[in-house]
Amino acid sequence: MCGIIGYAGFRDANKVLIDSLKRLEYRGYDSAGISVLHKKQQVYKKVGEIKNLEKNLPDFKGSVGVGHTRWATHGAVSTENAHPHLSSNKKIAIVHNGIIENFSKLRDSLKKKGYKFSSNTDSEVIAHLIQESYNGNLENAVYFALKKVSGYYAIVATSTDEPGKVVGARKDSPLVIGAGDNENFLGSDITAFLKYTNRVVYLNDGEVCAITNKDIKIFDEKNKQVKRNEEIVKWDFKDAEKSGFPHFMLKEIYDQPETVHHVIRGRVSEIDRSVQFNEKVENLLKTGLDSIHIVACGTSNYASLVGKYLIEKLTGIPVNVELSSEYRYFGTRDEKSLVIVVTQSGETLDTLAALKEAKNSGCRTLVVTNVIGSTATRIADAYILTQSGPEIGVAATKTFTSQILVLCLIALKIGISKNKIGADELYKYIHHLKELPKKVRQILDHSNKILEVAKKLKNANSVFFIGRGINFPISLEGALKLKEISYIHAEGFAAGELKHGPFALLTKITPVVAIVTKDSTYDKMIANIGEVKARGPKVIAIAEDDDTEIEKHADYVLRFPSNSDISSCIPIVVIFQLLAYHVANLRGCSIDKPRNLAKSVTVE
Amino acid sequence: MKCVILAAGEGKRVHPLTYTRPKVMIPIANKPILEWNLINAINAGIKDFIFVVGYKSEMVRSYFGNGEKWKVEIEYVNQGEALGTAHAIGMVKKFVSDFIVLCGDTIFGKEDFKNIIKSKNSIGLVKVEDPKEYGIVELEKDNVVKIYEKMNEPFTDIINGGIYHFSFKIFNYIHKTKKSPRGEFEITDSINMMIKDTKLKAIFLKEWRDVVYPWHLLDANEEILKKIDKKVDGTVEKNITIKGKVIIGKDTTIMNGAYIEGPVVIGQNCKIGPNCCIRPYTSIGNDCHIGNACEIKNSIVMNSSNVPHQNYVGDSIIGENCNLGAGSKVANLRLDKNNINVILNGKKINTKRRKLGVIMGDDVQTGINSMMNVGAIIGNKCFIGPGSIVRGEIISNSKIL
Repeated sequence: MCGIIGYAGFRDANKVLIDSLKRLEYRGYDSAGISVLHKKQQVYKKVGEIKNLEKNLPDFKGSVGVGHTRWATHGAVSTENAHPHLSSNKKIAIVHNGIIENFSKLRDSLKKKGYKFSSNTDSEVIAHLIQESYNGNLENAVYFALKKVSGYYAIVATSTDEPGKVVGARKDSPLVIGAGDNENFLGSDITAFLKYTNRVVYLNDGEVCAITNKDIKIFDEKNKQVKRNEEIVKWDFKDAEKSGFPHFMLKEIYDQPETVHHVIRGRVSEIDRSVQFNEKVENLLKTGLDSIHIVACGTSNYASLVGKYLIEKLTGIPVNVELSSEYRYFGTRDEKSLVIVVTQSGETLDTLAALKEAKNSGCRTLVVTNVIGSTATRIADAYILTQSGPEIGVAATKTFTSQILVLCLIALKIGISKNKIGADELYKYIHHLKELPKKVRQILDHSNKILEVAKKLKNANSVFFIGRGINFPISLEGALKLKEISYIHAEGFAAGELKHGPFALLTKITPVVAIVTKDSTYDKMIANIGEVKARGPKVIAIAEDDDTEIEKHADYVLRFPSNSDISSCIPIVVIFQLLAYHVANLRGCSIDKPRNLAKSVTVE
Repeated sequence: MKCVILAAGEGKRVHPLTYTRPKVMIPIANKPILEWNLINAINAGIKDFIFVVGYKSEMVRSYFGNGEKWKVEIEYVNQGEALGTAHAIGMVKKFVSDFIVLCGDTIFGKEDFKNIIKSKNSIGLVKVEDPKEYGIVELEKDNVVKIYEKMNEPFTDIINGGIYHFSFKIFNYIHKTKKSPRGEFEITDSINMMIKDTKLKAIFLKEWRDVVYPWHLLDANEEILKKIDKKVDGTVEKNITIKGKVIIGKDTTIMNGAYIEGPVVIGQNCKIGPNCCIRPYTSIGNDCHIGNACEIKNSIVMNSSNVPHQNYVGDSIIGENCNLGAGSKVANLRLDKNNINVILNGKKINTKRRKLGVIMGDDVQTGINSMMNVGAIIGNKCFIGPGSIVRGEIISNSKIL
């Protein structure tokens, strides 16, 4: 996730671009840059936050320009790799958010034609492609350049040959137009320019637009000009950084169709029937794996438990999940085992200590994290990014689903290399993964039903979450979300364990949330619900769309799209996130900053 | 010549009315403050306008559009952030050469516009009784020597009226202006720099009405209503008394037994009466209902609000879409006849008015027989229960039971 901005107007572009980038900083902040157009492209880039960029910013003249704040995915964090990128003739500047999947092929062919590359990013090819297609009209050049690109992108470009114009285009990544007075804007979201205008024109997938200080032109997928009306955004400035959502947590829950897409995209290929990571990661996953340890804390630990089910199911390799704070001092070290460390921030102190301990014991180490350049990525042998963008709500939401998916991809990768998964089976899994964003969106679209159930839970003193198999750790996560933001005592149990103790705590006023999937555990789960009902509590079942029986057993039912597959747990997690959010909201809790908790725990 | 009107401010001192509209969009005599300035400027011969907007700019834009309705050109520039008057004027650098600029929340008369237009590099000045609240101006003959910030013991009663005629040179000084102690870029600082190189001519204004606090709207309302001409477009039933200058909008019905004493303006599509008394200096917006046995005097009632049954409203401002319950009444005079104090934004302020009723935001409902004491300020969307007594400041969304 990166943030991009374009401006054509009457103000000093310098100031507008810096201002807007600060608003987009939540989308990434490892490096940033701007290019202001005035006779030539005046470029200034810096590693670090926007503050750094602003500090020694030259006094560029000009009222047209582009800007970028980066969250690295391809290429290290460096000034060269920061955007904007220029074409070989230095006339065209571009900023890009997204991933160009065929960039190495494009780069090779452009190099042969004599184009000079000055960065390791996938994005730079776009600048050269635009130069190649340029024939006096920038929007046309962008249109034809992007025809050659596969992947997903939002880009903004300017050219010294057309000094008043800024061109934007998007496919699967966000870009909106801000319609101002004697000025117009492009931005990754409305926040970027809300200070200057609250009139917005939405750009659809596959469209290209050209703005000047006076007008806005939009071209559809066939490069035909279309008309579109402005809409007025009624957000408060304070709401704006939450994209209009009342809390960061809710915004981040609603980010998930996008973040889920980002984890998968570029890593799986339906056509090649393959799963790809970078070389270092692939080397780690290839060679003689006898066992795997996954080490993590809190929510990441629950993602790891889900990972255990997936890896064991798809590869047959035994997996031990350890809590970082325990693994530091106890447990076994084995040079032949791979230690996967899962940490959102890459800075969790207990996890870092566990990682160092593993490394010092000679284990191979792999980090799954959201933050490139974090301490964990520097210690481990290799790392995989969850690419979720910054998460601000203390309760992890989108990073949890992304962690599960990364672990799922690891399981698939090992499964393939151990010949445990056939091509057809892999095709089916990949197909299901690709459908996930749609399924998550389905849950979000029906969140009012979850709100209704939340009303039943809001006065409970204690709530049980039960599930079997992969749904056991999902139950743990459901309970964790509820307790950490609503302060209701909640516990997750393996459904079969209830009768071995927890039943003693079950009373008529203890609601039980049960995950019922149509797999081998279905009948057992129905039996467990029966046991629970016999003791009087209300049961809330999380069940598949086509489960027509479940109403007979449960008091309330929340549905998720049918799909008895490795990835079905993701929509269920989203239901639990929304459930916890609504309960906490009904109880008037401080959702983004629960008492006694911090986002990144850097103490022991 | 272009006329730049500064219309970006929120007007925090006019809460609660400015929670839902920028200060320049508050209606006085059924037209926004900004429209009075527009009309006066047009009458003085100006055809090109730039509105510098910001806070709730969409309301300004949707009301005035491109100026077609007034047969003039209106352009907009968004200030972006409220960093002071110099910053606001700096916005229009690329759009003007020789221009006049004024604070859109102060109403200037037609003759004053003419005088300012005539004289390049000039400033409008006013003599006031209490200059403490304003920028003080030191003069040498006809020229300004220096403008001072607010003073506790001002040496003169001449203050800065907030209207200027500048040449393009002013932008050089705006560019050099530093932030003032209160953290804003002030045009008075730019002017003080300019005066050293260029003479700034003093022009005394004849009509000038500024609005600092909500109760000043009542003064401005009175002043404008004094100048209206009689015009009846609505339906007037029998047995009605209309005295003096009264404007009645189209589709409005005045019902039997109404007694209307001008100057009064009533908007469109209202139902007035039967048997009600509307006394001088009252503005009633569009789609309002003033019902049986109600008396209103010296007040502003905004669009879609009802004063329907047995109500008394005096020296008050009623926001949009309010409804008074039967028997809800407003007190507007202290029994000891002293000046009325209010609490606004948590601060006690002496209004220096002997008579002041209620300042009511939008979407307020009052229950039957509720009473509003002198100087009560009620925020938006409040719910005043039956029989409640309201005094002091009630914050928005409150329920008084």
